Amino acid sequence: MKPLDPKLLRYAAPARGYVLLTTAFGIITAALVIAQALLIAAALAPVISDGATLPDVASHLWWLAAVVALRAVVNGLQERYAHRAATRVVSDLREQVVTRAAALGPRWLSTGRGTDVVTLATRGLDDLEPYLVRYLPQLLLAVTVTPATLVVVLDLDWISALIIAVTIPLVPLFMILVGQLTQTYSQRRLLVMQRLGAQVLDLLAGLATLRAFGREKGPVARVRELGDAYTRSTMSTLRVAFLSGMVLELLTTLSVALVAVGIGLRLVHGDIGLETGLAVLVLAPEVYLPIRQIGVQFHASTDGITAASRAFEVLDEPLPAAGTTPAPDLSRATITLDGLSVAAPGRDVIAPAALTAEIHPGRVVALVGPSGSGKTTAVLALLGLVTPDAGTVSADGVDLATIDRSSWWSQIAWLPQRTALAPGTLREVLGAGQESAPSEQDLARAMALTGLDVVVAGLPDGLETVLGQGGLGLSVGQRQRVALTAALLGDQPLVVLDEPTAHLDALAEDQVLRTITALRAAGRTVVVVAHRPSLVALADDVIQVHSSARGTASTSTSTSTSTSTSTESTVMP
Amino acid sequence: MNRFRSDPLRRAITLLDIDRRRAAGAVALGVLALGSAIALAAVSAWLIARASQMPPVLTLSMATVAVRAFGISRGVFRYLERLASHAVALRGMASLRTRMYAELAAGRIESVAALRRGDLLARVGADVDTVGDVVVRGLLPAAVALVLGAGSVVLVGTLHVGAAAALAACLVLSGVVGPWLAARGAATAERRSAEARADMAAISLDIVDNAAALTVSGALDSRRAALREADARLAAATDSGARTSGLAAAVASLSVGLAVLAALVLAIPSVTDGALSEVALAVVVLTPLAVFEITQVLPAAAIQVRRSREAATRIMALLDAAAVTEAPTSSEAQPTRALPRTRTTDQVSLVASDLVCGWPGQTPTLTGLDLTLTPGRSIALVGPSGTGKTTTLLTLAGLIPQRAGRLLLDGVPLSKVSHDEAAEEVVFTAEDAHVFDTTVLENLRVARGSVTEEEARDALERAGLGAWLAALPDGVHTRLGADASSISGGERRRLLLARALCSDASVLLVDEPAEHLDPQTADALVTDLLRLGADPRRPRAVVVATHRLSALGASDEVLLLGDGVVRARGTHADLLATSADYAQAVAAESARADAAEV
Repeated sequence: MKPLDPKLLRYAAPARGYVLLTTAFGIITAALVIAQALLIAAALAPVISDGATLPDVASHLWWLAAVVALRAVVNGLQERYAHRAATRVVSDLREQVVTRAAALGPRWLSTGRGTDVVTLATRGLDDLEPYLVRYLPQLLLAVTVTPATLVVVLDLDWISALIIAVTIPLVPLFMILVGQLTQTYSQRRLLVMQRLGAQVLDLLAGLATLRAFGREKGPVARVRELGDAYTRSTMSTLRVAFLSGMVLELLTTLSVALVAVGIGLRLVHGDIGLETGLAVLVLAPEVYLPIRQIGVQFHASTDGITAASRAFEVLDEPLPAAGTTPAPDLSRATITLDGLSVAAPGRDVIAPAALTAEIHPGRVVALVGPSGSGKTTAVLALLGLVTPDAGTVSADGVDLATIDRSSWWSQIAWLPQRTALAPGTLREVLGAGQESAPSEQDLARAMALTGLDVVVAGLPDGLETVLGQGGLGLSVGQRQRVALTAALLGDQPLVVLDEPTAHLDALAEDQVLRTITALRAAGRTVVVVAHRPSLVALADDVIQVHSSARGTASTSTSTSTSTSTSTESTVMP
Repeated sequence: MNRFRSDPLRRAITLLDIDRRRAAGAVALGVLALGSAIALAAVSAWLIARASQMPPVLTLSMATVAVRAFGISRGVFRYLERLASHAVALRGMASLRTRMYAELAAGRIESVAALRRGDLLARVGADVDTVGDVVVRGLLPAAVALVLGAGSVVLVGTLHVGAAAALAACLVLSGVVGPWLAARGAATAERRSAEARADMAAISLDIVDNAAALTVSGALDSRRAALREADARLAAATDSGARTSGLAAAVASLSVGLAVLAALVLAIPSVTDGALSEVALAVVVLTPLAVFEITQVLPAAAIQVRRSREAATRIMALLDAAAVTEAPTSSEAQPTRALPRTRTTDQVSLVASDLVCGWPGQTPTLTGLDLTLTPGRSIALVGPSGTGKTTTLLTLAGLIPQRAGRLLLDGVPLSKVSHDEAAEEVVFTAEDAHVFDTTVLENLRVARGSVTEEEARDALERAGLGAWLAALPDGVHTRLGADASSISGGERRRLLLARALCSDASVLLVDEPAEHLDPQTADALVTDLLRLGADPRRPRAVVVATHRLSALGASDEVLLLGDGVVRARGTHADLLATSADYAQAVAAESARADAAEV
């Protein structure tokens, strides 16, 4: 865990400018701190020792006023640009993380990583703000102000410089020693604390259930007990955790005190001048100040570094290789699935297992099989979103792995199980992805087929109704109708439908069937994941999808060409 | 005055029930810690100025000892102060949690039910911590700063009145104006960025959730552009707050310099006049350099107070919503009336006539319900979603007040029976009832504290979990994960069923026991449930609300709800024959089941 990860500078361009600016401010601050100390000493010493008057030291005071004003300006600007830069760094990383996650595909996003990425992007990365605004400037001051002031002290009085130089390395040393002790101790404790905290929340979450049984009053005592236990265990953690803070304070304050006493004793003997003594006295705490602040902002640093490294983990994830060959024209090409196998993540199952089938242009092809057999995964592989573990997807002999994905996707309209709609008016959503807006006539015909006309009639602004983020305000079934209509109006030669009737009632099912018939009439290929017999009956070809346990060399099968009347005639191995 | 008292933070702090003696102790330790730092600066200044006059070394010995002592005491007192203030805060948070739980437990059911929605609960947990933080990061540092600020001004004042006045002014500048600006800057940024932040979160979620669909349809770039745009608005909002925050930082830095400068300008002539000694001059000028450490934490403290106030507002809103007294029905008469003591469990009955059900303050979802529940009888409530099945069950359980009509438990109006007593006879199992993060046995004991291991095994067996239980490593003592994340949906439903069986209640009301289960499991569960009531060992009345129709042949009566009334009722066979809607729905259901087996 580095205090400043070079990756941050590599990945987030705004961070580079900010680090440069803050370093510059650090150098200026160092000069101003030194100037202030020397000026205060220069103004005080003659008054104390030689009876100088205000006019005698006036020029020093004017300079001091200028330094004070300049320090205020630098501090103000630093704070202002720190907030600015932090927002920009966070935004920058957020966009990269979200884009990368999207590019890594559905397989990577499943198994909970999708939720993690969203949490990281929307909340986690915010931890970088205190890191950038509070911690990083102190870190940079520690490498500018601390050495610069120490050099000046050395020049003024080497004995004081020696005391400081000896204690400074002790600070990180003791911090690390105490920190390690704390870490092992507090990690053990942390588990206990998390559990205690979670139990109270668990009781609150179950309050409605407890009420239903009339047992809601009993746990009050339990909540109190848990609270007391939480306090006790937290306090015993803190007793250790705060030790490092105490060591830090003790070392820095004590050494300032020793410097002061040393100067005092040497002044008595006339070994050192008053002006020098005063300057060193003012400078000594300034040497330690950035180091102490780093200690204070310790949590900001760990939280920020954790957030950043989680972002880098996503950004370092290698992208699947993409091809460059332009895709064949799907209105004429036959798509071949050859021995397609995909291992299900986290389960000892291959689904689909060795799927071999052909999808001929202009036909309606149904994918059938029990749940978990890999129908949706087969669709994802067909779309090039999942890389098969064995076997290939090819179009007219060209392996999909070598095909440029955007030329592939531009020929496909895909309706996933959960339909997401782009925000905009309904008319915009329906016409998205097409050269010219569909004519009123086409719109009306398509909407009548899918049953969207009834939905539109019920909307306040008809086709001009603005759909919110993700088509909020429409039910799942209504959104599906919108997506179906858009697919019907589009001109992609291949239409892929994943369980289009899952969220529709029996009546609406009929509309889906009519839409698929219309798509076929328009010469478009339809691949449909089907559960209901009516859908299977409509299909020209039926592809049976099987899964197999990992390790068993099952060679399941196959397609069967059939007329639209027969529902299945699978060749079992 | 009134506004002062109704401030949510003030109310929340009252609920923290802070021990005043401990709080005073923490402040005292804080004063000693930072006071040591100030004293160190003052005595060092005196020591050096005095030493330069080359007095006998012995006259300095007190000062050299004091300087070293202050050098040590600061760290030690600071350590003790941090422990003391955290202890105060933690105790406060514990009592706030307890008070919250107690008030919610006694409060309105809908606020309690709302707790489970979304991340509200996690936020409540975080909000309690944020309110507690106000003690450590807000109130105690402010109290320490106040004491030490006044003390330093008095100390300097004994030497030079003018310099003391300047110090006081600068302390106000950095301790009041600076924090006020900092809090305002943070508030501006947060207020202006709220909308942009919500948009940013929604778009991020949309992109990740629908990554594949957006990629294939080519809409990803436009969504990325939308994210950039939302982030740009977020940045603009932050900038508007950053200006004020920058000013706050400048003020903090300026006030230290000004105090030193003012001390020099005002005190040097006094030395020339002989009104101030040379040694005192060093003290007057150099002490302020250390004093301003006390105000350094105040901008953060002001921001903390603001944040804690917002957290307190949410907590108080939750408690206020829960505390609203029940609907007028209960206030008409004494709410508690004992049930007849002479009855035996076999006779317990719940009778509804012309009952109107609905959430308080909303349009009733069902009117004119007539229903007689006696042990051994099983009833199914069916109908499209939104027809008020859940509301009806909640009303029958007495968890929400009936809107009109009559509802009698053993001849006594249910609204006049105490909640505890009603819960002994009528038990409602919600679709999303909670599975606690504890052992299987303790989860069953939610229904009745005295459930024995034997009874628990028996209940699990009857709920169809016999094989599952046998496979558990520690049997009924096996710990389930947080909200039962370690068990499957079907097991979870059956566990809830077993819990209902453990209760002594004569009437079991079960909401959607088969939701999200595959058809076979669903039918098996619903059938088991409907037959439970007739168990000769313990006859009970069972009401099941379900959308799964195929298994309803096991029920004595099916009530088909729709359009706010009971549209049809009768046995499963009757309804298949008489209700076209019902027959069609059953047919569609079996068609789906067939298709799944293709």
